[in-house]
Amino acid sequence: MSSIHHINLNTTSSDIKDLRIGDLVTISGSIHVTIGIPVHKHLIECIKENDSSVCEEMKGGCFFHLSTFVEETSLDLKPLYINPSTSTRYNEWMPEIIDGLNLKMVGGKGGLDQRSVDQLAKNGCVYLSFLGGGSPILSKGLKRIINSRWNNYISQFRLLTLEVEHFGPATVAIDSTGNSIYGNLILNAENKLDSIMNELNFQRNQFIDKFN
Amino acid sequence: MAIESALIKKITAELYEKSLKKIPEDTHAFLSQAINKESNLTAKNTLKIMVQSADLAKRTDQLICSDVGIPTYIFKIGSKVQFNGPIKQAIQDGFKELTEKINPPILKMVTNPLTHERSYEGKDIPIVSYDVIDDADYVEIICSPKAMGTGRWEAIEAFVYPTHEMIEKFVIDVVMKAGSQPCLPIVVGVGVGGTFDYAAKLAKESMLRPHGLSSSNPILADMEVRLLKAINQMDFGPMGTGGDTSAMSVNIDFAYSHGFVPVAVCINCWINRRTSAKIYNNGRVENLDW
Repeated sequence: MSSIHHINLNTTSSDIKDLRIGDLVTISGSIHVTIGIPVHKHLIECIKENDSSVCEEMKGGCFFHLSTFVEETSLDLKPLYINPSTSTRYNEWMPEIIDGLNLKMVGGKGGLDQRSVDQLAKNGCVYLSFLGGGSPILSKGLKRIINSRWNNYISQFRLLTLEVEHFGPATVAIDSTGNSIYGNLILNAENKLDSIMNELNFQRNQFIDKFN
Repeated sequence: MAIESALIKKITAELYEKSLKKIPEDTHAFLSQAINKESNLTAKNTLKIMVQSADLAKRTDQLICSDVGIPTYIFKIGSKVQFNGPIKQAIQDGFKELTEKINPPILKMVTNPLTHERSYEGKDIPIVSYDVIDDADYVEIICSPKAMGTGRWEAIEAFVYPTHEMIEKFVIDVVMKAGSQPCLPIVVGVGVGGTFDYAAKLAKESMLRPHGLSSSNPILADMEVRLLKAINQMDFGPMGTGGDTSAMSVNIDFAYSHGFVPVAVCINCWINRRTSAKIYNNGRVENLDW
């Protein structure tokens, strides 16, 4: 395993700006998570209305597409496990959320579109790819629920503020310079597509010749 | 002797729970071997974390992924099988009871497509398809829950007298569209022919084939090899962050059809959820891990 950068979210964002695609990181501090589309819409409303109860707490923070099971007891709320969801589902709202809350880290899995990548670069923000199916490992980093908003939604849709410790590892997949692993890969695959199809045709013809 | 509905209830629930907490042995072996073969350092790291995650889930009885999908079963019923009690109801009851008892508890994933309201139950849930095995005195049950990470990229298209090139291009297009989004490396199942619904069934069942087992049809076996190579040349890699290991296998099956030929493409993520058991008329249960 290559070396893992540990990011303490209470330090300055210079550490985060220095991260580059492919870096492995773990994080400690408070993070905000949801996988609810209605919650993304709600967040946009809060930004537009400058709702200080939400915006002040989230400003300059980390907002991840992570799905959390919250166990509710009469005494408290406890996060039982956590796992990423596909971020591209939220492409429509992410640029405004990244900018409006001046986020320094976002993440989930599968990346974000070019509009979001451009916004990440403007805000010096990075995107982390968490392992889908990494719940047993990621959940070890869960400490407690600091806040749970909009509890009328099901567990994974709520806007949760969580305290995490050595949470990860996650891969930096879009860095603050606008370099995106996903963008590079799509471009690479598109560029290779003709040669991939040509090779498929060649191999098929070879097989047919042999088969006949 | 007859298979009691209470046993169906118990086994279907157990198969679902097991599929959430343990990856198949062949999938674990593939991922472990891929770590050494992979040339991309990020991909190597990701594969290592995948294996660690699967091992930790198994050791500690945890869910591997929070998206537990919707429960789906394939029932292959032997023609000599006798049931005692309501079977469809037993499958529903088994899932309902599991959602109340499973530890850790699972998130609500069953979604009303018209209102987007989520629950643990709903019309036609669990999704069950039925088939018949002649002369068998057992029912074979396969559980393969389907989650959003791969479910949203699956596709079907009806062609007219397609060439092999058209079929392969369609598979490549589906994988290309999914790109980095599903949790790669994926297993790709392809169904060619039959009818609209039957092509989808072929694709799903092909996807569940044991790793390393090729199609018995030489034309399809060759197509599987070259499509796997082609998909891995796309370089999407584990978790879509680059690498040589984008797909574990491409499995294809076919059925005769009319001049119109539906082609369906089904995808499983790296967890490759699938569990299976046979229940015999005498009540004996045989777990089929592969």
